[in-house]
Formats: sequence, C-alpha cells, structure tokens
Amino acid sequence: METGLDMTLPVQMVLGALLGLSVYLPLASGQLSLATPGFYAIGGYCAALLSTGWPALGGELPTFPLPSLLLELVLGGGLAGLIALLIGRPVLRLQGIYLAIATIALVEILRVLNLNLPFTGGALGIFAIPQPFNDPAGYLAAASLLLALACWLCQRLETMRLGRAQAAVRDDELAARSMGIDTARVKLTSFVLSAVIAGVTGVLSAHFLNTWNAKQGSFDASITTLAFVVFGGSRTWLGPVLGGLVLTALPELLRPIGDLRLVVYGLVILVGPVLFPQGLITPERLKQWRQLLPQRGRPRRAEP
Amino acid sequence: MDNLLQILFNGLSVGAVYALFALGYTLVFSVLGVINFAHGAVFTLGAYFTYLLLGGAVGSNGLLAGAQLPEGLPFWVALVLAGLGCALVSVGLEAVAFGPLRRRQAEPLLSLITSLGAGVVLVNLIQILMGAEGYALPAGSLGQLPVTLELGGARVRTIQVVLMLVSALVVVVLTLWLERSRGGKALQAVAEDATTARLLGIDSDAMIQLCFAVSGFLAGLSGGLVGLSLSITGPYFGIGYGLEALGVLVLGGLGSVPGAVLAGLIVGLAEALVPGEWSGYKDAVAFAFLFGMLLLRPQGLLGRAVVTKV
Repeated sequence: METGLDMTLPVQMVLGALLGLSVYLPLASGQLSLATPGFYAIGGYCAALLSTGWPALGGELPTFPLPSLLLELVLGGGLAGLIALLIGRPVLRLQGIYLAIATIALVEILRVLNLNLPFTGGALGIFAIPQPFNDPAGYLAAASLLLALACWLCQRLETMRLGRAQAAVRDDELAARSMGIDTARVKLTSFVLSAVIAGVTGVLSAHFLNTWNAKQGSFDASITTLAFVVFGGSRTWLGPVLGGLVLTALPELLRPIGDLRLVVYGLVILVGPVLFPQGLITPERLKQWRQLLPQRGRPRRAEP
Repeated sequence: MDNLLQILFNGLSVGAVYALFALGYTLVFSVLGVINFAHGAVFTLGAYFTYLLLGGAVGSNGLLAGAQLPEGLPFWVALVLAGLGCALVSVGLEAVAFGPLRRRQAEPLLSLITSLGAGVVLVNLIQILMGAEGYALPAGSLGQLPVTLELGGARVRTIQVVLMLVSALVVVVLTLWLERSRGGKALQAVAEDATTARLLGIDSDAMIQLCFAVSGFLAGLSGGLVGLSLSITGPYFGIGYGLEALGVLVLGGLGSVPGAVLAGLIVGLAEALVPGEWSGYKDAVAFAFLFGMLLLRPQGLLGRAVVTKV
C-alpha cells in the first residue's frame, strides 16, 4: 500500500494545482469567485455519467479508450463553461464579498442538487467509473499535460489583450471602463475559463478516484482551493500552482502525526497569510530570483 | 390545522437559532467588513461546553475519555458559562486570525482564510479531545420544566419555546445596547470609520475585541441551545448551521441586526414548509433565497445600499 500512496499523491497534487489556477483566473481580474468546486463537481458527474451510462464510449472495455476520455474532457469542460456563461452575467454584477458569498451559495445549491437528483446516485454517488490508465503514472501524465496547457494559457494571457485587460480591471475597474475596456466581458471570460479548467479537472478526477459523489464539491473545497491561491500568491499564475501542489500534499505528508495533522494544516493556513500577506510567490520576488540567475544575455521569451 | 401550527412553530424555532447565529456574523461584519468563518466552530464549541457543564461524560474515543464533572450545573448556568467560554475563545480568535492582518493593513480577504484556518484547528482539537462521536445532552436538563407544552392546541417541545424566548431576549438586549449605551454607540462609530473613531478617543482595538466577545457569546449560546434541542452530531455539526446562517446574513442585509432576525425567521419558516417528499432539497432553501436576493437586491432585505465613491 505504501507504494500506492507514493504514486497517487503526485496526481492529487497536480489536480490541486489545476484547481488553484481555476480560482486564480477570476482573481486575476479582481473577482473573488469560490465557484470552482461546483464546476469541478459538474465535470466529474459528466465523466461519471457518460462513462458508466453510455456504452458507445467503451466503458465495458478493460481500459477505457483515450478518445472517449478526450470527448469527456471536451463535454465536461464545455458544460461547466456553458453554465458559467449562463449564470456569469447576473452573478458577476456583484462585487467583493457579495460575489464570494453568491458563489458559495451556488456551490451549495449544486451540492444539494447532486445529492437529490434522480440520476446522480444519491449520497453514495456513482461507482466503478472505468479506468483509462492502468496505473497512477498514466494519470500523472494526463494531469501534468492539462496543467501544462493551463499554465501555458495563463502565461500567454499576460501578453495578450485579455490578460492586460484583466490586470486593468483588477487594479481599477472604473478606470478600466473609462478607457474603453468592456469590463463585464473581461470578467465573464475569466469566469468561463475558470469553469472550464475546473470542469476538465473534475473529469480526470472522477476517473482517477473511480467513484464520484456530492462531497466532491462542497464549501470546504471552496475555501481550500482559495487557500491554494492565497498561500501561493495571487498575482502570478505560478503562485496558485505552487500553493495547490504544496497544500494538497501537506495533509498526506502529515499523516504520520495522526489526528494532529488537520490541526497542523489549520495552523499553516492560519499563519501563512499573516507571514506572507502577498503569498509565497510575488512578481517582485520572481524578479529578484531571476536576477540571481547567472546572466546570459537577456532571457528571451519562448515563442509559442 | 394542528399540523400546520406545529410546522410553523418548528420553523420559527429553527429560524430563531439562525437569527441568533447570524447576529454574531453580522456584528463582526459590520465592524470589520469581513466574514468570520470560524463562527461555526465557536458555535460547535458552545454545544460541547454546554454538554460538559451539564455533567455529560466524554465518550471513549477522545483524549479526555471518561472525563465528567462531578456534579452537573443547572441548565441556565451551564448555558451562560458556555457562552462566556465561547466569548473568550472568540477574543482569542481575533488575536490570532484577524488582529495581525489588520495591524499589517493586509487585504481583508485574507482573513477569510485565516479565520477558516482557526476554525479547522478548533474543530479538530474538539475531535481529538472529545472523539468524533455524537452526544445527546442529558435528559432532564431543563430541570423542573416539562418536556412538552400545550400551546394553542399544538404540543410543542419546551426547549423550542426556550429557544425562541432566549433569542427574543438577546435581540432586545443587543439592540438596546447598540442603540442606547455608550459602548454600543462607540462600536457603531468604529464600524462607520475606525480611523475617525480613534481620533475621537475611542479605543478601536478594544471595541473590536468586545465585538468578537459578544459575537462568540451569541455563537456559544445558540450552539448550546441547538445541542440541547437536537443533540450534537459530531465536531463538524456547526458547519452546516454556519453556512445556513451565512445565507440568512445576506438575505437580511450584511451588517443589519433587524435584518438578520427577520431573515432568520423567514428561512426557518420556509425550510419547515418544504413538503416531506422534497425534504432532501431543504438545505438548499437558504441558499436559493440568498442567491435570488443577491441578484435582485444585493443589499438584502433591510440593508443599506452601498454607494461607491470615486
């Protein structure tokens, strides 16, 4: 069992990093949305229902076909994005703490629906979700690929019109609007991108965990995923990735101390923001670290 | 019609708990502009304190296994002491989770995280000390009072009446204190503008501590009452109430005391009126209200609209 733990933890960490990016994207445009676990749950249910209920996908085969997984990723991410698009307009009129609370409400409403709808398997959820990979290494590769894609997107955003607009909205929404930026559209796009990332993460998680139930998207998850971002730093995409990796691993690494581990986990998220109000990674620190590297001309930006 | 009366009564007593709970949130929110996510944990603590003070024994799983007071205290004394204990804990929470951030003038959103961290610590300490099992508060805790009462043709549990009376009393006292007393006025001044209040000679930090103490007292009180009414289902049982109360808080308008009370009663009644075959959806009622309210009237039933100045 020891080896099993060693291999599954990295997968969970990478999935955590993906969820961190999903919380980061709305925050990059100044919007505190805690809806990520809701969209994550939607993605997961999408995968669970499709792979167990639609034989054409190949759920009966010994290994679940990769093209079917790809289709699920598209459908799960797409559905999450579509729902985000529909509710985004009214919800994103809210600001600050009001938006945070509305998104918590959204997550809770979805959780209660998932618990009670006739086709989601009630409190027990959906079992025996087919496995596209025979060992965690396959999942690690798939999750890492998704993470790499998401990181690439976030890095690209920084030089794109949308990313610049996000930064402008975050720094001063009114000023951004008066400069002709369609702030509502920028916020909505960030929200939808965030939902898509959460949705595809849910699809992969459902296969990885083998079962899916309403506990996967709860209030606790809203705050833990926010903690990823706050802990790692909310001003660069590297922060949430680091936060997601570290904070997902922490409870597992603390397992040897038994019951005390959650107390220590709580202390870490209690003390972290006090010691590092900006998070572990800030643009300023990144700059310092870059200057510490040996100078070999100006580092060139990689062409995509 | 007996049945309807019964349902209404159940709804109102649940609503009274929500209101009491939401008042604690609303006090902290009105002063600091943030939500204290450890509030649910303090509520849980209040229930456990009450249980222990009433002379309940600790189960076999916690570190404190088998511990028990030699003599249980009378219900009213236990409840008030539990409230005071929670007030102390709440002041401690302020010192570790809110104070350091405030003094560094950090982003207020960070205290969502730190207060949740503090809540996680509290809940898990309870679990380590008391075990994860549920506890039913000792029967006959109400002393001389009968278990049920006859009210207008409906049989109601005495504890529900106690719950409503205590809530009503607390609301009246709190409102009088806030509106009439020097301390209440000072608290309002700090809520309006902490810097100006300090210039006027009000010790803002002391007022904030006081506010956390009152909020913790209310959480402890409601925790004890709910524990007595429904039994404690484990260290996590406050979290669900914490979320419902969050819904109540927004419905009533963040920072509004009468709003919290009105909204608490509305949500309690609405939940009680959910028909039996739909009972699974009951937990979503508060959030559906909240969601609708945020979209239609973000300032809540009795809140003030926020005007953004440029």
